[in-house]
Amino acid sequence: MAAKKDCIITIELGTNAVRVAAFDLEGNSIASMKGSYPTFHTEPDYSEQDPEQIFITMLFVWKNLLNEHIHSKKLRVASICFSASMHSLLAVDKNGVPLGNAITWSDNRAKKEAQQMKHSPEGTIIYTATGTPIHPMSPLFKIAWMKNNDPERFRQTSKFLSLKSYIVHQLTGEYLVDYSIASATGLMNIHHIGWENKALDYAGIDISRLAELVPVFASAGKLKKAYQNSLGIAADTKILIGSSDGCLATLGAGVWDDTRATVTIEDSGAVRVMRKTVLQDEKQRFFNYLLTEDRYVSGGPTNSGSIIFEWFARQFGDFKNPFEIEYTIKDLIQEASKIPAGSDGLIFLPYLLGERAPIWNANARGVFFGINIKHERRHFIRAALEGILYEIYSIGRTLEEYHKIDSLSINGSFAAIPFFTQMIADIFNKNVTLGHSYYSVGLGAYLLSATEMGVYKNLDEAARTVGFPESYSPRESDHLAYVDCYKLFEKLSTHLSAEFETIADLQQRIGQ
Amino acid sequence: MNQVFWQQENCNELQSFLHIYEFALKRNSSIRLNSFDASCSDGIRIYYIVEGKFEWIIDGYPCTLFPTDLAVILPGKKLEAQKGYLEIGSLYWICIQTDIQDYLGNWSSISSSEKATIKNILSITANPVLSKLPDAGTLFADIQQELKGQELGYATRVNHLLDELFILVARRLSRQNISQRSFPDAFLKLEETLRKNLSHHWTVEEMAALVGLGTTAFSDKVKNFTGFSPLNYLINIRISEAIKLLKRPDVNMTDIALDTGFYSSQHFSTTFKKLTGYTPSEFRKNNTSKT
Repeated sequence: MAAKKDCIITIELGTNAVRVAAFDLEGNSIASMKGSYPTFHTEPDYSEQDPEQIFITMLFVWKNLLNEHIHSKKLRVASICFSASMHSLLAVDKNGVPLGNAITWSDNRAKKEAQQMKHSPEGTIIYTATGTPIHPMSPLFKIAWMKNNDPERFRQTSKFLSLKSYIVHQLTGEYLVDYSIASATGLMNIHHIGWENKALDYAGIDISRLAELVPVFASAGKLKKAYQNSLGIAADTKILIGSSDGCLATLGAGVWDDTRATVTIEDSGAVRVMRKTVLQDEKQRFFNYLLTEDRYVSGGPTNSGSIIFEWFARQFGDFKNPFEIEYTIKDLIQEASKIPAGSDGLIFLPYLLGERAPIWNANARGVFFGINIKHERRHFIRAALEGILYEIYSIGRTLEEYHKIDSLSINGSFAAIPFFTQMIADIFNKNVTLGHSYYSVGLGAYLLSATEMGVYKNLDEAARTVGFPESYSPRESDHLAYVDCYKLFEKLSTHLSAEFETIADLQQRIGQ
Repeated sequence: MNQVFWQQENCNELQSFLHIYEFALKRNSSIRLNSFDASCSDGIRIYYIVEGKFEWIIDGYPCTLFPTDLAVILPGKKLEAQKGYLEIGSLYWICIQTDIQDYLGNWSSISSSEKATIKNILSITANPVLSKLPDAGTLFADIQQELKGQELGYATRVNHLLDELFILVARRLSRQNISQRSFPDAFLKLEETLRKNLSHHWTVEEMAALVGLGTTAFSDKVKNFTGFSPLNYLINIRISEAIKLLKRPDVNMTDIALDTGFYSSQHFSTTFKKLTGYTPSEFRKNNTSKT
């Protein structure tokens, strides 16, 4: 009888869902399953998730995948690697029991704390040391918020964890946090890899209240007996603590030390590059997260991804059947494709949710600019799409002030729609490549595990194996049309800042 | 049509319909003070506006009704006029006895599980007012015609028309509760309802009706969006709530099982162990003492 074939399992704890995938040792996908969980908005600015539901959903999906695709095919699980969204915060008591829900990256309750710190001398020191932008998304300000506003919970908290650290603790009993997730907390010094005292002092905690810092290749501990049995996983199976979705999406897009950047667009989006050095920006527009001891993933995040276009589709699209937004979006794209690049001079600023990079203005709002009597519905559709991509472009342009970018590697379901991929190529005037799967986070996690197992010599070699079956070349004439509109887009985004503040204040007062 | 005011105890028209307390078409041509006092009923009342504008308070919620609008007042809920009198205009109403077991009684040919769903939709709607529902006006007029004419088969027809009225109202309410443009939003609302009533033994039919879909379309959407069948998704919620309760040493095991919607502590224990590898009591022991 032949020995069992090995496979690698990746578990991605995402913003809306957990995705469990299996790869063979060569990196071919065997299977992938997802299970979603809700985000609760119990108060304005609040955005929370139930840690127990995330845990149970993960177990359920993991078990289903193993039963349907691994055990039944007599495959052996050789290694397991975790990935998770950044910036989550979960307070647990001395028994490890959660004190309330987890606070997610999109939660804005700490906006006052972040505002006070922004552009203060202390803020500059903390940003420079930790690489995490001064923003309410940062767990640093969430902890400070809890200290100021929920002192009882703050006092009872034995550990401040990320969601991944909590899930790992449930499975193995260890309190661990990897460099990538830790470098997105605002609490870790990314230059000499350790918790940053200035940040700890500000948060009012000491290191005993944080998980232990470990490299992304470190073991997450041994799976508890009951889970070994119920999942059917051997006791000696290596479990990697892994990294964050942002870092792994970059690795999984094959970006390593070169002049390529990744563009990710899902609900939200980001443009990222991989560097050996920290990207220092006086205006504090970028994040610098750590993948390994000597690799930084630097770039800028945006709030305005597919969520903005879905909003547009819900308001202005035609729904033939209930809930069938996919068809509605398809129809809208078809209409948009009938008019030329630049939407005949109609410009859309997509800041319905405020914006992060590069303008970092929570008060920013959506704008249609330059409407004339000849503009039709389809101009608005196309302008909405272009606006979302101009925002992505503006992050790319700011990055290019420091880092040469020759081509782009695309991931995320929205960016992978061919019409958009081509638009990205045209707007950036760069070649764009698309991987086998737009879920490059799972592939990145596979590359970590496989490198740890010795399949690849190092991550450099691993990253080079990522294939790009599809590529798009920029079209000069369209690029020129976009450039003119973009200049105006950029001007409006900054020139309107006083008006953005006024309108945000007005909307707050009239209870919107 | 002529105005009518039929009450169960003093008219011939309702003799074959013990479940109909009252049926009326009223044309109010003058304002009389205190002509509309706050009232409750142990039956379910449906009002349909034919003409005029009515400003009411239903169960504490102020609302304004225009022609073709319809309001449902649930048993025991208070209906009052904002100004204390009935405004000028004309309106239909009907009051139906509700059955403890079946909600809508034996007269209805709706299946009992669907009756439960209709009850559910009505009771989770904070303010059951529907605007622009002219079809309901047609049903009221037909019911009046049948009750008056008493032609062959009229008893069957009246009950069928009542069924139609309830189905129409329930369908429209679930669509009004949830915008059918965003499944994630609709599903989040459904999930909140499920969590509020977790001890209820939800069926797929009930869940589907709450987002205004048929069961097949609903199951497909849920599978696509969550990765799970509706019932498996529900198990996720039940187990995650149970885990929270297990981590609090003061709640007893049977209460946890029943509060989170399992049939028994045995059923809870089996499902829990299958998913997590632990029995609930093992899980509790591991998570309540300091490790």
